[in-house]
Amino acid sequence: MAKKVKEAPAGPKVVHDAQRPPAGADGTDGTHEKRQYEPKYNWMNKSRQWGVRVRPGKAGLKLGDLNAGIYGEVPMHWQDQSRNPRGAVARRGMPPVGYTIRDKAGLWADCAADLYEEAIQRRWAPATDVPWETIDNLPSDVEHAVCQVCTELTGYANVDIEAVTGWQHQMSYGYHEVKQFLATASFDAARHHECFRKRALVNGGGLGLESPCQVNRMILESRGGWTEAVVYLYLMRGVFTMTLYKYLERYAHNDAERFIYGRALADKARHVTYGLDHLKFAVAHVEDQRQVLAILLAIGDGGFGRDLADPVLREALAIIFGGGIKGARRQGMDVYNDLMRDYVKTHLEYCSWLDVPRNPAAFPPALKEFAPPPAAAS
Amino acid sequence: MEVAAPFPSVRWFDAVRDVFNNDDSYRGAGGGYCNCAAGIKIGDAIFVLTFEGQECARAVAADDAALDDVDFYLDMSAADWHEMVANIRDNGHADLHHTLNTLDLDREDGLATSHHGDQYREDLFFRYNQTLQFFFDASARVKTEFAR
Repeated sequence: MAKKVKEAPAGPKVVHDAQRPPAGADGTDGTHEKRQYEPKYNWMNKSRQWGVRVRPGKAGLKLGDLNAGIYGEVPMHWQDQSRNPRGAVARRGMPPVGYTIRDKAGLWADCAADLYEEAIQRRWAPATDVPWETIDNLPSDVEHAVCQVCTELTGYANVDIEAVTGWQHQMSYGYHEVKQFLATASFDAARHHECFRKRALVNGGGLGLESPCQVNRMILESRGGWTEAVVYLYLMRGVFTMTLYKYLERYAHNDAERFIYGRALADKARHVTYGLDHLKFAVAHVEDQRQVLAILLAIGDGGFGRDLADPVLREALAIIFGGGIKGARRQGMDVYNDLMRDYVKTHLEYCSWLDVPRNPAAFPPALKEFAPPPAAAS
Repeated sequence: MEVAAPFPSVRWFDAVRDVFNNDDSYRGAGGGYCNCAAGIKIGDAIFVLTFEGQECARAVAADDAALDDVDFYLDMSAADWHEMVANIRDNGHADLHHTLNTLDLDREDGLATSHHGDQYREDLFFRYNQTLQFFFDASARVKTEFAR
């Protein structure tokens, strides 16, 4: 026998405060008279474009794929000051949040959505992916040097985190691709902080001496806008860090270090790519931006030169490259000099690509000695 | 019985692609998503590898003009390529002296270069370095016959 079907329950009974008589006014406690809620669903008509059907490609459904129709319209100035997602219907009367970066030229990079996907899909986990068991005892001088370099790199990573997160909340919601990519950049930096600290503490050593931090301070105290911070964070420090990772992977003592430096290099290359792409965009859209970047870099050279004058990082790297204190003086310093020449060459190539004028002859001595001869530089 | 694939040839690259595309271990731990066209210049022989999403989609023989269109290309003498591939075969993967990063650093003009000089595209070599390394390391599982 079929079960008796119960009658569908009535919709939820809701009474709004404005419709509710004051408690006791009708001789009751004011809760027993309830009007039936009549949903209107009129929010369903609120869409600027309906019927969008984005298809996943070989790499899945990517963030950039969503830029279809009006959802891909990224204006040069983002007027809205609320947290209205790009493409949504704005609610009237929303109080402003107070974003300070509302011009596309102040943060945009066309590659941001792709870099976001790349960061998410190429992520790695220091705790379980790094073959920590391959780290064996090293000579004391080498272990000291590795730990000192890791101390420096941990500091760099911490500055990355603070710099990115310090600006991120000031960026308008309309440029969400950049905000999302930068979220991965700060997470990458957290990962780097984690794995360099782990490397310093995993093999009988410990953290070493704090670096002089002039460039750190320039990055963190950039007040002229995110673009200025990008100059110091990526075009200067980022390229230097990338070069360090390349050489440290080349001179790794075990598979764990090789893994760490290799993966950190890929992460850092992504950050530098964003930086370059953003600066290219800014140069193309902001009058005199080239000159502004040139002046910022000239100021930055001074701080970087003072950091390089401190011998700690140089000596630690030379010990690693030379296989110990004994080899540091000759072979180690030769490799260190190669590293610095590579850095200056790459940095100048990037500046040239950005069409930002540079004058190596005006570099501080600690940098100038690594600059290519004038003919090669031109 | 497995037939040896001659190096360098499209057949050899296809055999490596087959190993690379079917091994999930190459997708995690910093590998995976990779979109680029990489030229491989082995002496005078030129090949173009196209990476799409999680796989190496194509390997084709090409000529010098094709290098105008790739994001970057890896340029070494035939002897150096042979040494790298033999090292990978003997060790199961490249040893520290034969990784793409080491080979890049040890060369005056680097291993990765381009005709266009576009830094953004050239830097894909570093962003995808691990995937490219995984790709060549996969050749350890391909029976290779070196051209004399």
